[in-house]
Amino acid sequence: MKIEIAKELVIQTIESALEGKSEVKEEMQLIGGVALLDSMKLVEVCLALEDLADDHGFEFDWTSEAAMSKTRSMFRSVASLAEEFSKQSES
Amino acid sequence: MIIVTGASRGLGKAITERLTERGEHVIGLVRSTDGLEIEGIECDVSDYSSVKKAARIVKKMGEPVEAFINAAGVASMNLAVTTDESTVQKLIQTNLVGTIYCCQLFAPIMLRQKHGSFINFSTIAVALALKGESVYAASKAGVEAFSRTFAREMADFNVRVNCIAPGPIRTDLLRGITDAQIEKITSQQIIQKQFEKSDVCDLVELLMDRRASSLSGQTLNIGGV
Repeated sequence: MKIEIAKELVIQTIESALEGKSEVKEEMQLIGGVALLDSMKLVEVCLALEDLADDHGFEFDWTSEAAMSKTRSMFRSVASLAEEFSKQSES
Repeated sequence: MIIVTGASRGLGKAITERLTERGEHVIGLVRSTDGLEIEGIECDVSDYSSVKKAARIVKKMGEPVEAFINAAGVASMNLAVTTDESTVQKLIQTNLVGTIYCCQLFAPIMLRQKHGSFINFSTIAVALALKGESVYAASKAGVEAFSRTFAREMADFNVRVNCIAPGPIRTDLLRGITDAQIEKITSQQIIQKQFEKSDVCDLVELLMDRRASSLSGQTLNIGGV
């Protein structure tokens, strides 16, 4: 899956989890002090991305080291989550 | 569907039999499915990738998981000073880390369905601080602490997490424990008698029941402390 498509899907998914209350931008942080989502919303986003991955014929693993690592976490930003989503679609 | 770890022996087997008798679809997570009388998935709970693989298989089955029962466990009754390094590692890795792996890797299935119940196993040795069970009790105290906090994390998704803490129940884990030693333990319980596997099964059924929907983050000590 091309990164542009992954970004679009991830942004749509996050906006849907936020019920359209915020505009989602690529550079927005997903975890940490100024995180866009609370931990429960983040779980909802991950479950929704799992479903999208199923629809696109791959498995999205959000419990991996890449997900949890403080420095390399896929949840650093909207863009990094989209990058990981795209990467996993090709592996 | 109900998943039981350690389903091939001891409490896990008794729980599996009870649930199967009442018509539940039970899947056992076991090291080896040889001789297992129910549907099973080979899984070493102390191995992250093995648990992850089992969770993937269960997810693909597409059936709701009503309960996940973490009954796999090992015991070793020794003073801390006479417990060797590998035994310490094994107790912590299987009892505590294994429970954590199973909970964290099977939780997404329950989070998605927005209901379910995890039942973890502690021991009355935690509450009674039983001499000669320090490392075993430490591994189970970890399970209790994990379960309480995990229960909070799961609550918004209508997933409950509780612990059962049995006293000395006649299973392989009690091999080598004398009747006198058992009596010494049971005499410290509020109800001073040795309970049976069936009593544990009764509590499992109680915790799984929707009528127990107000219970989460609790440890039920069998016999009372």
